[in-house]
Amino acid sequence: MGNADKPVNIGRRRFLVATAATGGGLALGFSTLAAADVADATAVSGATPEFDAWLVISPDNVVTMRVPTPEIGNGAATQLAMTITEELHCDWSRVKLEFASATRDYVEDNVYSKPTGALAFFGGRSTVAGWNSTLLQVGASARERLKAAAAAQWNVPVAEVEASNSVVSHRASKRSLSYGQLADKAVLIKLEQEPALKSRSEWTFLGKATPAKLHLPKVVNGTAQYGIDVRLPGMLYAALMQSPVQDGKLKSYDFDKIKDMPGVHGVAVIEGGEPLQKLPLITQLPREMNGPRTSAVAVVADHYWQARTALAALPVEWEDGDGAKWKTTEQVVAEALALTGKSGGIVQKSLGNAAEVLAKQPKIVEATYTTPYCDHVMMEPLNGTALVTADRVDIWHSTQAPKHAHRVAAEESALPPEKVFVHPTLVGGGFGRRIGADDVRIAVAVARQFPGRPIHTIWSREETTRQGRYRPLLAVRMQAGLDAAGMPQAFIAHEAGRAIDAGQYTDTGSLTSTIGLSDASYTSGIIPNVQVESHTLPIHIRTGPYRGPGYNSNAFFMESFIDECAHAAGIDPLEYRLKLHANWPDPGWTRCLKEAAKQAGWGKKLRKGMAQGIAIGNFGMLGQPKTGTVVCVVATVEVSKKGVLRVDTLDAAFDCGRMMNRDAVRAQMEGGLLFGLNMSLNEMLNIKDGRIVEGNYDQYPMLRIGDMPKIRIHFGGLSDHERYSETGEPPVGPVGPAIANAIFRITGKRIRSTPFRVHDLSWT
Amino acid sequence: MNKTLNINGKPQEVDADPATPLLWVLRDHLGMTGTKFGCGIAQCGACTVHINGAATRSCQVPLSAVSNGSVKITTIEGLSLDSSHPLQKVWVDANVPQCGYCQSGMLMAAAALLKDKPRPTDAEIDAYVSNICRCGTYVRVRAAIHKAAAMMNGSHHG
Ligand code: FES
Ligand code: FES
Repeated sequence: MGNADKPVNIGRRRFLVATAATGGGLALGFSTLAAADVADATAVSGATPEFDAWLVISPDNVVTMRVPTPEIGNGAATQLAMTITEELHCDWSRVKLEFASATRDYVEDNVYSKPTGALAFFGGRSTVAGWNSTLLQVGASARERLKAAAAAQWNVPVAEVEASNSVVSHRASKRSLSYGQLADKAVLIKLEQEPALKSRSEWTFLGKATPAKLHLPKVVNGTAQYGIDVRLPGMLYAALMQSPVQDGKLKSYDFDKIKDMPGVHGVAVIEGGEPLQKLPLITQLPREMNGPRTSAVAVVADHYWQARTALAALPVEWEDGDGAKWKTTEQVVAEALALTGKSGGIVQKSLGNAAEVLAKQPKIVEATYTTPYCDHVMMEPLNGTALVTADRVDIWHSTQAPKHAHRVAAEESALPPEKVFVHPTLVGGGFGRRIGADDVRIAVAVARQFPGRPIHTIWSREETTRQGRYRPLLAVRMQAGLDAAGMPQAFIAHEAGRAIDAGQYTDTGSLTSTIGLSDASYTSGIIPNVQVESHTLPIHIRTGPYRGPGYNSNAFFMESFIDECAHAAGIDPLEYRLKLHANWPDPGWTRCLKEAAKQAGWGKKLRKGMAQGIAIGNFGMLGQPKTGTVVCVVATVEVSKKGVLRVDTLDAAFDCGRMMNRDAVRAQMEGGLLFGLNMSLNEMLNIKDGRIVEGNYDQYPMLRIGDMPKIRIHFGGLSDHERYSETGEPPVGPVGPAIANAIFRITGKRIRSTPFRVHDLSWT
Repeated sequence: MNKTLNINGKPQEVDADPATPLLWVLRDHLGMTGTKFGCGIAQCGACTVHINGAATRSCQVPLSAVSNGSVKITTIEGLSLDSSHPLQKVWVDANVPQCGYCQSGMLMAAAALLKDKPRPTDAEIDAYVSNICRCGTYVRVRAAIHKAAAMMNGSHHG
């Protein structure tokens, strides 16, 4: 990496951020990601002309690429820069990333989001696929303009000049100029026609190079700036508390009791409810995502510790409202299970005639499963920094979806969107939690009560966990009718829970809660007769996407239940899945099953108390073959007679079609498997009187380095089908069921709920 | 009342309540935001710094405990002057961090480990580096520590 990391210079960085906050010439507010403390200010103020909205090359030969995709850890921002680099032929060590401005996108007719639509600014799934042609063209176009500028200067035909490694050269005359030397002329050149793109076989960088993510040099010396690290002149800190029962209301508080505490400036009271203005939707993320603004109180002080200490001392009373009727977790689970016994749910999938065919089969398998509420517990607690003045709002924020954040900040400030500026920072973990922008709502709502002062609002860890937008608690009742050969001819599932928010109890667009159930391979053509219905649990606890929405529960349900069917049929679990997928028009599934099984030594002799379990899933397929990413996991597991569970090895094979960056894919597979492992073994939130009980990591256990099984990622499942599907979410699903299926083979106990740590696994 | 801290080899003046945790003194009073807040209860390790060379969770250390003049504090910003610590190099080369938020703490824990145990076993890594990473970088953290240890032993560095 060519990033010259300088010693930390906090004063200078502070100044630059401050400039961005107030300088009129910096109206579009870019954020710098990769380089040392070099200001991006010039790029915006016009000192360095741009090739287009995406690209600036400065005289010192640094190529600045403005990408709309945040960096949440999956390397998406770096990937977009790599795509531009493939055609630009620039020196990777002199590439710098900036986060594109959502305001500019708004003002300049969707200059960034037009090519891929509304999710352009989204740092989650599907970030890479849609970008290729647009970004390759950005690179190719700039490269040809640089070549044309050099050719004109040397008065030689453009066909005689070459561009490579940020240098244009003319071999015959041995002349060369750097991109930085040519940029000011090149930006003035208009090409008569856009250059043709290289074919994939001509790529030299994409699919071959595996550079480290561009933000890492700053991570390792502590200068990387996340939302929680934003420091502005005159900034005050706010400690936040929202109604402990979500959707409850602040009843009273007594500021007098804390007003003389050190550093305290005041209290911001935030009323729950609708934003100051409602703007038309411009993204696929509904305004209601993550619900209306919550009722809250925040103490504002000179320093966070003062604010937090004063908040703890502030007498506050809440009106709990209706949600308090949910007294215990057991009550919620019982209610959800009861709903799965009802008919007349929302039909999510219907093929053939499931009820009739099921009744005719010689064997019927039936089971109910549940999963609990889970929180994302990303390592950076929620936070947001906002500066509200009469005619402008700035927000510095670790958002997964800057365009949505931009719209929400406008809604909460009642200013037109062109006067609202989102400054994306690095994101300390997202996993879906930082999409809906409820944190932006609150941060702006606090700051607008202190106009002209930047206010940095921090959710404590406990507040972050107890005010989540959770992976919903789900319950499902499944039935399969097996024919004489033991194969399923009909499948019926009734699932109950609160759908992944859109914020309303009566959500009919609740497909996401059955992703992985209603759109799995089994229910999209393999089993001929299918009925999947969902039932809405009218509970106040808000939900949201969590790594692999819907799928993270449903893969556990589906793959454990398929294992039950295999057992009932007396067929080996691997063989059963191979049989089921024999005619499925996507050979990736069979490849992954075989690869994972081969690598894990499926069927090998293991000592008593050990066994293997297998599971397969796909996130992103939405019922379609050759779509999304297939992941098959074989878990090798040991359970002692006393019931102590040890996961020895996870062998995973996958098919995302093709890969742009092998090491980045591997990192996502590793991370996704561990996420699925922690979710399945450990994670559960409980409810008491409508509140979430667990607040911090002491109550919400996390795996540490010493708890790791051997993780083995195998690349032999790849089909080379022409797609580059997401790899962050897909591994999350099959881990849990592979382990549970192994536990069954050891103990004879079928585990029908997560987390596994609460189950008695002892055996004799 | 001003206190003087010795941070990364330099004296730093702070005016804060003596009960304020070192974590917030660093982050808010001194603007040294490399040391991260994750939990505030000694669980996650994101706030790890070295106090007289020992890895310590700074959310648990009140200012009063480190302001007597003899206590040496090292933060991620002072792990090396120029990102030249072998751990920092390997961390980038091996693409260890994902989001990166937990990694200052990981690096500080790993650096203290290598000082005590220049050739750590897996069990020693498990004991010293109990930090939480939600992104799931543990596999790479372990491999990178072994690699940095090999580099340091090979080159007699540190
Ligand atoms: S913030 Fe100190 S251990 Fe988590
Ligand atoms: S890299 Fe994201 S929490 Fe560790």
